[in-house]
Amino acid sequence: MAIETKFEEIKRFESDLEQCIKCGFCTFCCPVYQEEHIESSVARGKNMLIRALLAGDLEYTKEFADHLNKCTLCMACTENCPAKAQIPNVIVAARADKVRVKGVSFPYNIIYQWLLPHRTFFGNTVRFASWFQGIFMPKAEGNIRHLSFFLSALGKGRHIPEIAPRFLRQTVPIVNQPPAGVKTKIKVGYFTGCMTDFVFPDLGKHIINFLSKNGVEVIVPKKQGCCGAPVFLGAGDFATGRKLADTNVKAFEHVDYIISDCATCTSALKDYPQFLADTPERIEAYAKFADKVYDISQFLIDVLKLPTSAYRPSVEARGKKVTWHDPCHLSRHLGIKSQPRQIIQSIPDMRYIEMADANRCCGMAGTFSLYYYELSKKIADKKMQAVKATGADIVATSCPGCMIQLIDGAIRNGMPVRVMHIMELLD
Amino acid sequence: MIKSEYIAKLKKIVGKESVLSSKEDLTAYSYDATTTWAHMPDVVVLPTTSKQVSQILKLADEDKIPVTPRGGGTNVSGGSIPIKGGIVLCTTKMNKILEINKANLHAIVEPGVVLQDFNTVLAKQGLFFPPDPQSFLGCTMGGVVAENAGGPCCLKYGVTKQYTLGLEVVLANGYIMKIGGLTTKNRTGYELAMLFTGSEGTLGVITKITLRLLPMPPASKTIMAVYDDMAIAGEAISSILSNGVIPSKIEFIDNWGIRRIEELTPMDLPVEANALLLLESDGIQTAVEAEAQQIAHICKRSGAKGITLAKDQAEADRLWKARSGCFGAVFSAARTVLSEDIAVPRDKIPQFIQSCEEISRKYGVVIPLIGHAGDGNMHPSVLTDQRDTEHFGEARKAMDEIFETALSLGGVLSGEHGIGLEKQRFLKKAMDPVAIEIMKKIKGILDPNNILNPGKIWEEEA
Repeated sequence: MAIETKFEEIKRFESDLEQCIKCGFCTFCCPVYQEEHIESSVARGKNMLIRALLAGDLEYTKEFADHLNKCTLCMACTENCPAKAQIPNVIVAARADKVRVKGVSFPYNIIYQWLLPHRTFFGNTVRFASWFQGIFMPKAEGNIRHLSFFLSALGKGRHIPEIAPRFLRQTVPIVNQPPAGVKTKIKVGYFTGCMTDFVFPDLGKHIINFLSKNGVEVIVPKKQGCCGAPVFLGAGDFATGRKLADTNVKAFEHVDYIISDCATCTSALKDYPQFLADTPERIEAYAKFADKVYDISQFLIDVLKLPTSAYRPSVEARGKKVTWHDPCHLSRHLGIKSQPRQIIQSIPDMRYIEMADANRCCGMAGTFSLYYYELSKKIADKKMQAVKATGADIVATSCPGCMIQLIDGAIRNGMPVRVMHIMELLD
Repeated sequence: MIKSEYIAKLKKIVGKESVLSSKEDLTAYSYDATTTWAHMPDVVVLPTTSKQVSQILKLADEDKIPVTPRGGGTNVSGGSIPIKGGIVLCTTKMNKILEINKANLHAIVEPGVVLQDFNTVLAKQGLFFPPDPQSFLGCTMGGVVAENAGGPCCLKYGVTKQYTLGLEVVLANGYIMKIGGLTTKNRTGYELAMLFTGSEGTLGVITKITLRLLPMPPASKTIMAVYDDMAIAGEAISSILSNGVIPSKIEFIDNWGIRRIEELTPMDLPVEANALLLLESDGIQTAVEAEAQQIAHICKRSGAKGITLAKDQAEADRLWKARSGCFGAVFSAARTVLSEDIAVPRDKIPQFIQSCEEISRKYGVVIPLIGHAGDGNMHPSVLTDQRDTEHFGEARKAMDEIFETALSLGGVLSGEHGIGLEKQRFLKKAMDPVAIEIMKKIKGILDPNNILNPGKIWEEEA
C-alpha cells in the first residue's frame, strides 16, 4: 500500500503531527502519564511514535496499537500545549489508519461493526444480558450490579448500574409537546444516546419533562442510533462511523436544534465533519448537522435563556452540597465550562462547592476503560479524592459515561457521595 | 546492542515493568526537547531507589555500557539524548518529596519530582524555590540540578547552584555518595556538591537533593514597558540596574515574539511595538509599590513608549503567560529551531541586540530574540528547516556568528541550557584549553570507563 493511502487519515492531521515541539509540558497534565511516568503514555511520546511510523521506522504492531489505545482523548495535553498541537486528533487518525490496514480485532469487531449500528438488535442483546445479570449476579449495592456476562467480558468486574427493564425510547412518544397552558417556544430533537436509553431512561424522561414544562417540544426520533464515539473515536473504525453518522443525520433532518445529555455524544456528533466527512455531500451534511447539536446545559443557558427562577432543586438535591465534574468532552472538546456552573449556582437551597481540578479526566473514556480497567481505576481514584475533599453530598456531571465511572469510584472507595446528572438536580 | 541476558539482569534489579525494550518504547526515549538530535537507546530502566540506581551502574560499569540519565526529557541542549545508545536511566518514578523543613528552610527531594509539583507543595506552606526554568511543567529536579537551571527569577535570586545544599550521588562504580549537608554555610573541603551541579549527567546520577528555600515574597507587581526600538529597550535594562533597583525579573520579547504570541493566544499585546520588557518587583507590599513606581519611572525616562502596571494578579498572570508562551511561540514557528542561550554582560545587551539584527539580515534568516534580559541571558533562535540544506547551512552560519558575537562581548556560550550536544563544537572557543583538560581529568577520575552520558559537553577526539 502506498504511503499516501496507508496513512491517509494521519496525513489530514499532519499539521498537528508536525506542530509538536517535544517540550514535554504535556507530561504534567496527562492523566495516563501521571500514573505511569513513561514517555509512550503521553502525547509527545505517542506523536513521536506516529512520526516514526510514517518514516517507516515502526509498524502497526500489537505494541504500537497498545500505545494508540492507551489515551483517554481528554485533550488536557492540547489545552496546555504551548504550540497548540492537537495530538489526540492525530491519535484518532492513527487508530483509523490502523483499522483500514489491519481491521478491528475480535470481539470488538462484532460489537462495533455489527451490534452498535443495529440499534434494536443491540438493545435486545443488552436486554438479554440484563436477564443474565438478574440470574447470575447478586445485587451489589442498591440497583448497582456487577455487569453480567456479555458486558463483563469488557467490563472486567466494574460496578455499573443495572440495565433498565424498559428502554427510554420504548416508553416515550416520538413527539412530546408542552403540557396544556404552556406555550411552545421552540422545537428540539433529543439525541438520547445509548447510556440514557438503556441504563438511565429515567434521566431521559426527566429531561423531556423539564423541557416540555419550559415550553420546549421534544422530538425523540426512533431511527437515531449510537453517536459512534466508541466506533470511530475509540476504535478508529471510520467506515462504520460514517454509517452511524448518516443514520443520525437522517433521523434529525427535520429539526433545527438537537440536544444531548451526554458530553461524549455531543462532542462525537460535532466531530463528524472533522473525522468522517469524506465526500462533498457528507462535508455539507455533517457540518449542517453538527451546527444544530447542543449540550443540554449549553442549550438551557445560551438558547432557551431560562430565567433563574426556572431552576428549582429536585427533591434529591434540596439542601445538599453539590460539586461539579467537568466531562472532558464538555469542557475541553466543546469549551462548555460556565453554563453548567451557572445552572447549578442558580439553584436555590443547594450549596455549590468547586472541586480541585474539576476538569481533570475521570479515566472512563469509553473503550479505554475496557482495555485498561486497572489504569482507569487509578485515574478515577484521584478524581474521587478531589470529590471527597469538597465534602459534597452529590457530584454532578453531564456525561453518563463519567457517571458510571464516578459510581464505580464511589463504591470502590466506600464513599457515600451520590452521582447525579446535572438535570437530575433540577425539579 | 545489549544482549538479552543483560536485560534480564536489569529486570531482576527494578522489576520487569520498569525495564522497557520494545522498539516503540526505545523510540520514545530517543529524543528530548532539542530539535536537531535523536538516538535510540538499547534499553530504558526506571529505578525507584538509590540502591537500584547503584546496582544498575555497577552492572553497566562492569560491561562498559553507556548510561544516559534522564528525567522529564525537557532538555534543550541534547543532554538527555542517548547518543551512544546503551541504557537510558530514567528517574521519573523516583518522584517523592521526602522532607520540607520550614524551620530550617530546606527541602529534600528525589530527582524525578517535577518542578511545578514541588512549587505547588511549597506554595501551600508559604515557601519558595526561585529557579524557574520555563520547562517547569515537565522538568524534574534531578535535571534542574544537573543542568544548574536558571529562569527569569534568577536575576534577583540566582541560579540552582545557589540553592543546592547537599546531594546524594551514585557514582559510576555504584557507590552511593553523600555530599554537602543541610546548612547554608558549609566549608568542609572542596565544594563537591557544586561539581555535580551542572555536570549534565556526566559525573554521577543524582538520587537525592537537599535544597535551600526562601519564604514566599508576600507581594509582587508586574510592569510592562513598550519600546519602538529594541536597542533602547536593551539600554533601559542597564539604567534600571544602575539606579539601584533589582527587579525579580526583567524579560525581553521582540516584535516577532509579540506578534507570534498574539497569533497563538490573543491577549491584547501591543503588536506594533518593536520590543517589550516585562518586569516584576517582589517583596513586602509597600516596598513593592515603591519599587514598581521607580521602575516605571526609569523605563519612561529611558524612552519607553508605553507603560502598564498590572492592576491585579489576574492581569499580571496574563502578562506572564505571554512570556511563558514564548517557548511554544518560537519552537512551533519552524520545522527546525536553533535556539541558543548565550549570556552577555548586561551593559552589552544593546550591542548584542544590534548584532543579531545585522546577522539576521546578512544571512537572510529570521532570528526571534527573547530572553531573561535582566541577567544578560538571551535566547536568540534561528528559524530554519533541516531538510533544506542550503537554508540550514546559512542558519548554522548565523548561529556561529551569534556565538562569536556573544563571546567577543565578554559573554558565555550558555546561560542556563548547558552544552550537551548542541554547543560542544564551540566549547574550545569559549574555554581555556587547560580548563577543558581538567574537566576531562575529573571525568576520568569519577567515571574511568566513560559510561556516564558519554559524548556530551566536549567533542570527542577524532
